[in-house]
Amino acid sequence: MARILVQLKLRLIANALRSSTAAQTSFIFSILFAFVVGVGGFYFLSLFRGLSASVDLTTVIFCAFALGWLVAPIFAFGLDGTLDPATLALYPLRTRPLAVGLLAASAAGAWPAANVLALLGTTVGLAHGPLGVLFAVIAVVLQVLFCITLARLVTTSMAGLLHSRRGKDLAVFLFIPIFALIELLGQVIPNAAAHGGITAASFAGVDAWMRWLPPGLAAHAIQDASDGHPGTALARLALLAVVIIVLGWLWVRALNRALVTADTATGSSRLHGAGLPLARYGLRGAVAARFWIYQRRDPTSLVYWAMTAVITAVVSASTLLGDTGPHRHPGVVIGSAVVGAGFVGYFHANSIGLTGPSFVTEAAALTDRRSFRAYFSGQNIAFYVIAAPLLTAICIGLAFGVKDPAEAVSAVAVALAGVGAALGMSNILSAGLAYPMAKRTGSPMRQAAQGYGSYTFGGILGSVGGVAVLVTPVILAVAFTGSVPTAVLDPLLIVCSIAYGIALTFAGVRIAAAIAQNRLPELCQVAIQSTA
Amino acid sequence: MGDPAIAVLGLRKSFGAKEAVAGIDLEIAAGSLAGLVGPNGAGKTTSLSMMTGLLRPDAGKVLINGVDVWADPPAAKAIIGVVPADVRLFERLSGAELLEYAGRLRSMPAAEARERAAQLLDVLDLAEDAKRLVADYSTGMRKKAALGCALIHNPSVLFLDEPLEGVDPVSADVIRRLLTRYAHSGSTVLFSSHVMELVEQVCDHVSIIDKGKIVATGTTDEVRGGKTLQQAFIEMVGPRAGDEEVLSWLGSSSS
Repeated sequence: MARILVQLKLRLIANALRSSTAAQTSFIFSILFAFVVGVGGFYFLSLFRGLSASVDLTTVIFCAFALGWLVAPIFAFGLDGTLDPATLALYPLRTRPLAVGLLAASAAGAWPAANVLALLGTTVGLAHGPLGVLFAVIAVVLQVLFCITLARLVTTSMAGLLHSRRGKDLAVFLFIPIFALIELLGQVIPNAAAHGGITAASFAGVDAWMRWLPPGLAAHAIQDASDGHPGTALARLALLAVVIIVLGWLWVRALNRALVTADTATGSSRLHGAGLPLARYGLRGAVAARFWIYQRRDPTSLVYWAMTAVITAVVSASTLLGDTGPHRHPGVVIGSAVVGAGFVGYFHANSIGLTGPSFVTEAAALTDRRSFRAYFSGQNIAFYVIAAPLLTAICIGLAFGVKDPAEAVSAVAVALAGVGAALGMSNILSAGLAYPMAKRTGSPMRQAAQGYGSYTFGGILGSVGGVAVLVTPVILAVAFTGSVPTAVLDPLLIVCSIAYGIALTFAGVRIAAAIAQNRLPELCQVAIQSTA
Repeated sequence: MGDPAIAVLGLRKSFGAKEAVAGIDLEIAAGSLAGLVGPNGAGKTTSLSMMTGLLRPDAGKVLINGVDVWADPPAAKAIIGVVPADVRLFERLSGAELLEYAGRLRSMPAAEARERAAQLLDVLDLAEDAKRLVADYSTGMRKKAALGCALIHNPSVLFLDEPLEGVDPVSADVIRRLLTRYAHSGSTVLFSSHVMELVEQVCDHVSIIDKGKIVATGTTDEVRGGKTLQQAFIEMVGPRAGDEEVLSWLGSSSS
């Protein structure tokens, strides 16, 4: 059974390779990336040698790998057929050999190999002496086994949910912490480390509780063996082995149940409310109501707002953590405001592709330029009532974070003008640069359909670049009115910025309506080609 | 016979080198319940998309109650309702919100849209699920919700692409009765389907499309010519089965 399931996994990978050039490219990149992670991880862990916090850092890394194993299969649920018990439920298979086979299939592939290679870096970074190295090898094997069993238990237990609408929503929501983590690891920490804000000593003692987690047991076993306490090390590894056995037992039970349980765990809850809001305001009100509801109920919309918040904060946070002195970075919060507003525009710059095939229903109402104006301004109303307070709150928070509250007003002014500019730009791009969105296997988020990658680039460039250019007058106004008393300037600046932003939105709506009016069939085709 | 409710003249559409619709002509009288049948890839969906203003034709003309769809799209869209094959609705609205939204998009006052939505949901047997998210609806419920959206503004011509595909018999019966009642009131229905029995049972007019061309059109009795519609259809488009002799092992109950 193990051989058949490993062969199945390898065949699935090989078939993915044959399917298309894009799949081949993606596969090759995945292999290369796995290799880089394996070798890079080994090197990174080996750098901990001699550091006082080496065991703390190793524990953190072990826990991070376990977290990755826990989360990645939820994303890859539709990608790896061997993860889904429903695909095997039709065959006359006994649970125990099936479990062994699935475990073996999990261990096959480039990523598990990269995982083992990376963690073996502890043989250099943490282990000392032959006994330490021996325990390191055993600890790494047990750690990987723990990760695989944990991942299998979670995906098998959640199989019913992951097939349902709620499970798919959950996968989309998981994108938020992962995106935040990527930004933290890719932007904030390297920047802070480069400026001395974070050093290896910062991690000392962080494993006070992590050491008792299974990955922590593995890391500390290596430390104990290296320090001449093989008994303690053995006890830790034995405890880890018991955890793995318990997880394995739970997994076999879950698998047994999943093979004979219907996979439609979709629960549907009853909604409250009499109907759509904004009943008095015609087409504009109807569209605003629909978009407003979607901003609350659609996971993708919520993820976009969360990503906007993360990006806005990260622009300043990386600088804040690097240089902690007050007034060291004048204008950094304004930079955050510009980038944040730019991304508000980018995330809505393909509203028709994002709406998907149901846009065809809306298209029935889009009969002339006036109706298009109502359509675009309706969605802008929904976006504005979220974007304006969101960016205002973040800018104020960041300004206090840099200990320069005075910058809050300037940044808020730029943000409010920027939101107006962003929405106008997003309307123009939605009408003129619409492209189909597709859901790709392995990703819960929709992306530009194959062949439309350059449109995404155009969207970012148009939105962020457009906003940066259009808010320049506000930035100049801030720069050249520094001598005016704030009691006079601040309210004036905010009011003028709001008015300027709204004027830009109006201009964007008018231009977008003129473009879209003659392109409705093409826009409908973009919508139909999109995945809902 | 007066002016046709649907008149299609020389409609063509190509995708690259492939000619999906190779010049079709079609006339459907007002008050008809007409079926458009054809094998997979025959051009049914492409034709219906062009007739409803969703896909720009390369050539040809479509008139709905005398209104040229491609010369005056707003006027044409105001009098038609469409249920596409791949029903994609606003998943994060409830059934009631969805129908109300469809009504308000058609410039109906909110109160009237809400009232009609409730009535349609009741007739479509969706009243109990009116406050559930469309994302949680089954295939049959989604088809019925889409039909509700297409009917809420009381169009004079209704286009449906595979309206009963994947729909359970009870929901299918609800849809069938609603369409029959709608056509008897003088409105016109054109729907595509693979289900010959259904077309034979409910349609008074049938057109068969194959390889982008209409190969037969007329009343249901004329088209079937004394046979069942299934037989007439197979004869016109030709059988497309492989050699079944190679499956001699099948049914022997040995492994």
